[in-house]
Parts: sequence; C-alpha cells; structure tokens
Amino acid sequence: MKENKKELLRVEGLKKYFNTPGGLLHAVDNVNFSINEGETLGVVGESGCGKSTMGRAILRLHEPTAGKVFFEGNNILEYDKNKMKQLRRDMQIVFQDPFASLNPRLTVSEAIAAPMLIQKMYTKKDKDALQKRVSELMEMVGLAERLKNSYPHELDGGRRQRIGIARALSLNPKFIVCDEPVSALDVSIQAQILNLMQDLQDDLGLTYMFITHNLSVVKHFSDNIVVMYLGQMVEMAPTETLFKNPAHPYTQALLSAIPIPDPDYPMNRILMKGEITSPIDPEPGCRFYKRCPYAKDCCKNPDIGLKEIEPGHFVSCERIGDPELKENANA
Amino acid sequence: MKKDNTAQVSGVKQRSLWQDAWRRFKKNKLAMVGLVFLAILVLIAVGTIVVDLVTNNYIYENYVIKQNLRGRLDPPSLEHPFGLDEFGRDMLLRMLWAVRSSLFMGVIAIIISGILGGLLGAAAGYYGKTTDNVIMRFMDILLAIPSMLLAIAIVAAFGTSLVNVLLAIGISYIPTFARTVRASIMTVKDQEFVEAARAVGANDPTLIFKYILPNAMAPIIVQTTLGVAGAILSIAGLSFIGMGVQPPTPEWGSMLSSARTYIRDSWHITVIPGMGIMLTILALNVVGDGLRDALDPRLKN
Amino acid sequence: MADNNKLLEVKDLVIRYETDDGVVEALNGVSIDIYTGKTLGLVGETGAGKTTLAKGILRLIPSPPGKVVSGEVIYDGKDLLKISEDEMRKIRGQHISMIFQDPMTSLNPVMTVREQIMEVILQHNHISKKEAEKKADDMLELVGIPAERGHEYPHQFSGGMKQRVIIAIALACQPKLLIADEPTTALDVTIQAQVLDLIQKLKTKDNTSMLLITHDLGVVAQTCDYVGIVYAGEIVEYGTLREVYKDMRHPYTKGLMASIPNLVENVRRLQTIEGLMPDPTNLPKGCKFSDRCKYATDKCREKVPDMVNVGGEHVVRCILAQEEK
Repeated sequence: MKENKKELLRVEGLKKYFNTPGGLLHAVDNVNFSINEGETLGVVGESGCGKSTMGRAILRLHEPTAGKVFFEGNNILEYDKNKMKQLRRDMQIVFQDPFASLNPRLTVSEAIAAPMLIQKMYTKKDKDALQKRVSELMEMVGLAERLKNSYPHELDGGRRQRIGIARALSLNPKFIVCDEPVSALDVSIQAQILNLMQDLQDDLGLTYMFITHNLSVVKHFSDNIVVMYLGQMVEMAPTETLFKNPAHPYTQALLSAIPIPDPDYPMNRILMKGEITSPIDPEPGCRFYKRCPYAKDCCKNPDIGLKEIEPGHFVSCERIGDPELKENANA
Repeated sequence: MKKDNTAQVSGVKQRSLWQDAWRRFKKNKLAMVGLVFLAILVLIAVGTIVVDLVTNNYIYENYVIKQNLRGRLDPPSLEHPFGLDEFGRDMLLRMLWAVRSSLFMGVIAIIISGILGGLLGAAAGYYGKTTDNVIMRFMDILLAIPSMLLAIAIVAAFGTSLVNVLLAIGISYIPTFARTVRASIMTVKDQEFVEAARAVGANDPTLIFKYILPNAMAPIIVQTTLGVAGAILSIAGLSFIGMGVQPPTPEWGSMLSSARTYIRDSWHITVIPGMGIMLTILALNVVGDGLRDALDPRLKN
Repeated sequence: MADNNKLLEVKDLVIRYETDDGVVEALNGVSIDIYTGKTLGLVGETGAGKTTLAKGILRLIPSPPGKVVSGEVIYDGKDLLKISEDEMRKIRGQHISMIFQDPMTSLNPVMTVREQIMEVILQHNHISKKEAEKKADDMLELVGIPAERGHEYPHQFSGGMKQRVIIAIALACQPKLLIADEPTTALDVTIQAQVLDLIQKLKTKDNTSMLLITHDLGVVAQTCDYVGIVYAGEIVEYGTLREVYKDMRHPYTKGLMASIPNLVENVRRLQTIEGLMPDPTNLPKGCKFSDRCKYATDKCREKVPDMVNVGGEHVVRCILAQEEK
C-alpha cells in the first residue's frame, strides 16, 4: 500500500439488518474497511449482496443497526441532526438510475442548485452568484450551458448522469459514494462518464467508494477492491493483487464468469451451483457454502473471519491455503 | 476536452412535464369539449353572481324565484326557450341560476375533503408504520358507511343548512382522497431522487412539498375532477330527497324533485334539469379521463 | 453469399414508427442471413434498432405506431411479411421463437410454470394433455429445473430460474430459430454464465439457429459464429466472429470495442466515442456515424456509404474501407 496516505473513512463492524416477514435480513453483516484520501475503493458483488445498502448505511440514508463509521476521525453515527446536515456537504452520493434519481419537475439548473440552497450556501438573494456556480459545475461535468432550462426527461441517460454528478459536486464534497453510476448506460456513454469521474478525482482530489456488479468497470479505477457476498466481505485486496491472485472461490468464479470480448480468449468458466439467495436468518458459517465447489464440513464453522494472506490481502475462507484452491487461482 | 458537442438534441423544446401533459390533453377532442362545457358553466355561475350584485338581486327575486301562476307548466316557446315550471318561473333562468349552487358546492365540498383527506393520506403515506395504520383503519371505518347514508345522517342530525350539506359531502369523500394521496405518495417517496435530496440534507417539509407532492399530483388531480362530479351528484341527490338546497333556491336536484309530479304532462321541467346534471357529470368524467391519459407517464412517447 | 444452409434471410428491411414527435426511422434497410445451426450476434446500443429487427422478423411490431415500410423476411422459401396471420401464428413458437429480456415480466403470474410450457406445446402439436404434460416436465428437466417444481408459480422462482423457464417455453416445440433479445442482461454475471451455457448446450443438441441480440461484446465473443454491428438502424459491419473481432474496420466498431473496460489488459483511461447516437427522427443524410467519427469527411455526409466486402464474408459500411480497397 502507498505510504503517507491519510485515512478519510473507516468502517468498523458495520451492520444493517432489516425486519422482513420472512425473518431478519442480514443485508450488511459486520463489514470493516478503510479508504484513504484521494483513493477509490471498489465494492463488488451481485444483486442482493448488500453493497448498495452498505453505501447508504455509511451515509446514514439507512440508519445502521450497529457499528462505527469514522469520517476524518469522528464517529458520524453519533452525530445529531444538525451536525449530520453539516456533514452532508462532505459526503455525497451518485445514484445508479439517472432516470429515477432526478426530480422530474426541476430543470437542470434547479436540480444542480437545489443542494446549495438546502445547505444555505447561497440564499435566494445571491441569484447571480448561484447561477455562476451552476454554470461552473455544468461546465465541469461537460454539460452545455444551453441545457440549463431543460428538464431531465428531455435528456439522455449520459447527460442525466452528468447532472447527478454535478449535483453531488455542488457541495464540494470530499467523499462520494458512487452506486452503480454507469450500469444503466450504454458502453460508449459509460466510458465517457467513467473518464469524467476519473478527471474529477484527479482535479478535485475526491475520494470514491465505487459500488458495482461489474468487476471490469472498477478494475482500472480502484486502488482497493472489496468483494461482498450475502452481506459479508469475502475478500479485500489491492486491485492488482485481486485480479492476479483471487483467493476466495467466489471471487474466482465471479472473475471467470465475465465474458471477455476476444474469441481467442480461453474461457474456463467456473459454473457455480444454484443462485444467490437472500441472507434471511443465515446459518452460521460460510454463506457461500451451498454454492462453493470446494465446500467441506469445516466451512460450517461459525466465525470465519478475514485472514490476511499477504500484505493488504484479506480473505474470509476456511479452506484458504488448500492446494486445490490455489491451483484455480493461478489458472 | 469535456465538451458537449452534439448540436441537435433538445435545446429546441424545453417543456416541463405539465406542459407536456397539456399538449397531450389538447389532442383529446372529447376531453376538450368537456373542458369547454365546464368553462361555460363557470362563466354562467360567475355571470349570475355578477348580475345579482349589479341588479341588487332584482332579477333573482322577480324572475327566478317569484311565482307566476298564470303561465305555469308552459312548454318551451320563443319567449321562454326552456318553458315555465310548475310555479310559472322561467326554466332557462332557473337553470342558469342553479349552476352556481351545484358547481361551487361541489367544488367546495371536494376542496374540504381534498385538504383533509390529502393531509391524512400524505401523513399516512410518508410516515408509514403506526401513523399509517391508525389513519387508514379510521378511513376504512368511514368507507364502510355508504357515503350517501353518511351525508343523510349528518344533515339529519345537524339540520339542513348549506354548511352542513357541504360538510356532509366533504366528509364522505375524505377516505377516497386519503387513499389516492397515500398510494401516490408511497410510490414516489422511495424513488432515488427523494433519497438524493435527503442525501444533501433536505428536511421533511422540503421533501414532501418540493420533491414528493409535485410528482404525486397526477392521480390526485384526476381524483379531484371525478370527485367533483360525485359531489355534484350527491348534492343533487340530497336536494332531491329534500335534505340539500331548499326551495325556492334553484338547484337541479330539487328542481327535479319538485317536477317529478308533473312528469306525465310536462316533460320539459324534468328533462331539462336532468340533462343539466347529466351533461355536467359527463363533462367532468370526460375531463377526468382525459387528464388521466394526459398525466399517465406510461403513455408518454 | 449463396448458401444452401441459409435458414432465414432478411432483405432490406425498413421499419418506421410514426409518433407525435415525428417519424422514427428505426430500421433503415437491414439485411442479415442466418444459417442452420449457427448463431448470429447483433450488437448495438440502446435505440440502435436491434429489438425492432427481432420483432420485425416475427411480425410483432405494434401497429400503429410501427410500420414495415419495405423489405422481405424469407423463411422456408416464403416471405413472412406476406403470409396470412394464421400462417404466421404457426411459424411463431413452432419454427421461430423468441426470448425476451426481462424474465420478471415475460411469464404469466397466474399460471403455473408447467401450464405455461404445456400451452405452447398444445398450441402447435395435436397431442393429448397427458403427453403435453410429460413433455413439459422433460423440458423443465432439460433446463435444469426439477419437474416437481412444475406446479409452482413464477413468483416462486428466482430471476435465473425464471429465465430458464422462458428458455424451456421457447424451445418446447424444437424451433428452427431462436431469437434471444438480451437474454442475460437482467441477470448477474454468474447466473449469466449458467444461462449462456445452457442455451449453448440446448442449441447444439437440436442444431437450432440463434439470433442473439445484445449490447455486450463479451457475450458475443463467447457464443456467436457471426456478428453484425448495428448503429442507428443500419448494419455497419458484418462478418464471421473472427473476421469482425480480429480485423475491425468500421470506426464505430473500433470505438465500441475500445470503450469497454478491459479485464485482460491494463488501461488507465478508457477511449470514448464522443457525442451521442443521432436522433432517430432526424438522422443525418449520409453515414449515420459521421457526426461522431474522427475520420469523417464531407464525402461521408453526402450519401450513405455502400456495404464493401473486405474479404471473406466480412462487409463494412464505410467509405474508408472502400478507399483502402
């Protein structure tokens, strides 16, 4: 890991449970990680693994059930309403669906100005200053000035996502949770948005938590990656390490399942049995047990914690170090 | 480097969703006819009020309610296009003067239920859980009583006054509104743009009034139009059984009621107020349907 | 490209939608060939006209607003656009069937899974209910669902399982051609892998042809024999998988490929295609891609370039390719 980096966010033992008619849903279960200033943490997992809930729990859009979230050294879960409102300037979110995440009744400039008015950074009187700031933000995210008075339904997905990003940037945040910001977009637009986010990070020194189901999207973007399965972290490693040496059977299967756009690339997909279920009243032990090709009785042990197998590389697997697993990792 | 260089798209048409809806509404000919009809009714209602003010009720007292037994039950003629009623009053004038009671009472009754029902429904939908349960169970109880019966009960208990009639009808429409508002708020409140507003620190009133309500308006507007139609019918119904507007004040329901004895000999005094009620209700329903189609995002494109 | 194995041939299909905002030129003269037992992948972005083509083949374009302006769809010596609706109904499901994108909404929620499979079988075969039931159970087993679950309703299945049921319905009558419209887009990658694997297996078993519509170049590389790249209602590049992937000619294809985050190689910055798809109610006169193309010249904007054969079955709709030749 890089030295001299200041830690911006640290999450300790974060849990978010939901009461459902079927039982207690462990959406996020005991998650620990930290993000350094100016870096990107990729959070990867399939639908229902709790990655989005985790992003929202960190921002207290869903109140966490237990755990601590330190932002610049302070546990923000202890903040009261006023302090939290203040903090919202520093922590922002960009949503997945650019169609649902914009108020259809607001124009582009109204949507971008709204957060600054809510946070009272400008009052109604500083109309000119506010408009100037809106134009500045629009230029920053590559939206033409003439779109100021357009409504979201008149724009395409890529432009709407740019509005979403401008809105998040309007408060000068330090940290942005990006919840699948490109998965609703076409590939060519996706690349534009990814590049934009990268430029903004370089220019403004932003710190990202990038939530996605698409490993290849975060690959060139993240410094570290967390892989989640049914609410738990199964693996965490620096990006390069994770791709070179995926240790958890789930990570291996996930990586092998991505279709490579090259007819000559040898695909040896590891086909998993069954499907991801929902973590309602989960049994103790590894949650991947039922689908894992290497599962043994020892995997039913409760408390399979994260183990550091090499510097910065954490895995939660009982059978780690088993030659059978190793072989696959290097394939 | 980051430049938006596609020249065509948007820029040309910048329409808010409301403008879009109006554009779609305009295409619906039937609904437009209904709307024009309603506009005429409003003009008549306002016109008669102005006339009364200017003439100091002269026309009202001398032609609309003053009995003139010489020409009673005269059929339509050039002088009296709608004929005369059982007391020899001009049917056309009575029809015109009746518009305001039906229309304004209907609208006021719906405003009462709209505000009360709307607030209850909004609270139930936004806060959910216990609040929702308490409010909606109470609404269920109200809904279990037939609305006409409820209105009759209220009027019978508190006497037949204008206010009581309005209250009676207003209250009986509260549950319908509460349900509509609650349902549409619930669909909007979990959308990401509301969450996005919450993420920048917006408080509850901002969220409700700026983000949720404007986007939940469509079904509420439709419900209001249809509600006014229902309320007008209820008022006519109450008047018909003698618990609403009292004679000699002209009102379509009571006109219909007092005319029914003469239905065999003088068709015009029953048919004309009947047509008035029917056409108004029809116009409101047609407009309501038109609004539903125009505001429904599924039909967009 | 005369070939006896040609199962279906689409010739110059033009489809438009007449909307309030103008005429949407959804498909502008698309020609494709599908060979027996082979898979053709159609790749393109949202609004390129892929789904319109699929629906056009099966005559499922809602009309109004849709309108087939011209073109032919030749199957078994007949033009599907000219036969009667009765005949067409026999073709659908029995000869050509379709899998839709969203497994959540393509099943009837009030019928059990077995009934839904039986329905297709009974519609196209004169067999008893008992036999149909047996066949439906076989189909379920074939797609990896235990037959005992046949009496369950769609909501009792997960997304991947539902997509399996849909595949079972589509393949119940052993169609000659399967049209799959983004069959795995709504699924997670690991489930996508399972479903693609399943389709591949069943296809090989019955020698079924397939038209796979997707936006995912990776999925195409792993499943298709032929590829067509669609842009603004036109095929801009077409050829065998290897021809197209190993020797891309059209600037759009190149741009598309370069803009995908690559899992194998390391890139710090993604390449992008500037701009947006042209407005389908107001398409450029010449090459549809000319507004976004780095190499575009005035010549490109004058008229739509012809398809140029650049070797083998590889054709490209680009002036550059023409000039190189």
